[in-house]
Amino acid sequence: MMKPHRRKRLGIILFIAAGLSVAIGLTLFALSQNIDLFFTPTQVAQGEVNPGDRVRIGGMVREGSVESAQDSLQVRFATTDYVHDVDVYYEGILPDLFREGQGVVVEGSIDPNGVFQASRVLAKHDENYMSPEVKAALDAAGASADNHPMQPES
Amino acid sequence: MWTWFHRLGSPKWFYEISGRWLPWLTAAMLLFLAVGVVWALLFVPQDYQQGLTNRIMYVHVPVASISLAFFPMMAVAGTVSLVWKMKLADMVVKVAAPLGAWFTALALASGSIWGIDTWGTWWVWDGRLTSLLLQFFLLIGMISLRSALEDGDAAAKACALFSIVGSINVVVIKYSVDWWNTLHQPATNFTADPSQPNGPEIWVPLLLMVIAVYLFFIISVILSTRNEILYRERRAQWVEELVSQS
Amino acid sequence: MIQFSSFQEFIEMGGYAFNVWSVYALFTVFLVANLLLPMRRRKQLLRELKRRRIAAEQMQKNTEESARLERAASSLGEST
Repeated sequence: MMKPHRRKRLGIILFIAAGLSVAIGLTLFALSQNIDLFFTPTQVAQGEVNPGDRVRIGGMVREGSVESAQDSLQVRFATTDYVHDVDVYYEGILPDLFREGQGVVVEGSIDPNGVFQASRVLAKHDENYMSPEVKAALDAAGASADNHPMQPES
Repeated sequence: MWTWFHRLGSPKWFYEISGRWLPWLTAAMLLFLAVGVVWALLFVPQDYQQGLTNRIMYVHVPVASISLAFFPMMAVAGTVSLVWKMKLADMVVKVAAPLGAWFTALALASGSIWGIDTWGTWWVWDGRLTSLLLQFFLLIGMISLRSALEDGDAAAKACALFSIVGSINVVVIKYSVDWWNTLHQPATNFTADPSQPNGPEIWVPLLLMVIAVYLFFIISVILSTRNEILYRERRAQWVEELVSQS
Repeated sequence: MIQFSSFQEFIEMGGYAFNVWSVYALFTVFLVANLLLPMRRRKQLLRELKRRRIAAEQMQKNTEESARLERAASSLGEST
């Protein structure tokens, strides 16, 4: 029961909206290479990061890799996507959520020895929330809820 | 169907019916809010990683998710106002913009404060944070567009188009965490199983807070729309009567 | 079950007092402001509309009065 001129007006609006969305969508697609916050260790291994370039690398802190100095804030660890590792050196205060098996984003550059000299370490939180009791019960059952959000999709 | 639609478009009808709804909506909101806040602050168990900072989720998640409702709502109202010239629809588009800016600002602020200790930074230019900041600036732009255009009809048209186009950004915000790698977490999948992560002890109070903030969103849109009706219809007989009784 | 054994512990929020309480404070400001501002605007609007209405009525009365006076004056003029 829509009047013809109204239907026409609605059509024009839809056309404009569709046109603009296509334009914006294409722009975003073109930009999408640069919107990612960080490189993965696999991308580093494939040579996508030049030594000396200031970049961010995201991965998990490899279990058993954290070595902290006794008398200073220096820390070494490996960040991994469970395919490749990147060794990281950092001196400074770590966020509260930093621990082994946790997702992190490190900011800095790769030195000539292939070690990532981080000037900033950020902790990435995954999408799981639970109490320590639930976590303990899951660990006891062997079905750890730890998932690895930065693992490359297979 | 169409008579109902036209009646809905009558500011007088909306003013009267919303006046009757307001006390009920407010009572329901206060109830959900009180139970939700007490539950979130006192009873939710601490998180196995975040400890008690998880309390921030019960403000951040409802406010942030409802801040995404503004552009789609304005786009629907804007389309109605463009096609059917419904005055009420344009009033909703007008009052929603500043409210949306409030919601977006609180979503950004609460997220930043949450990030200070958990992420180790209050800001990072990742896809999610940047696209939500863009929404804030789009809303500010829309408010300035409205005030820059003196002709009410032109302002209605421009803002309607603006909100339709701006809705694309909502899709970007929503899927930013899936399309790109971000510091922000992807969406949490809640479960009914209490022995699994994200069980009822986490999401039941969250649901109460989401309902409370949703009701608050509806109430604040109604309150501002009623003011806009009184102003725009000030020469109508029924408003004059209402004014002389006040 | 309440997660805190004392009020002090509740205030401290496991070391996250600043983060948690500032978010809840901002939330309170947000809720109160978005209810009070439209309510205050409504009061101002009604007062303003009422003032305008009284002014308009007054003007109406004044025009009627001056019209009456004018009629009276002209009828006076005619009679002389």
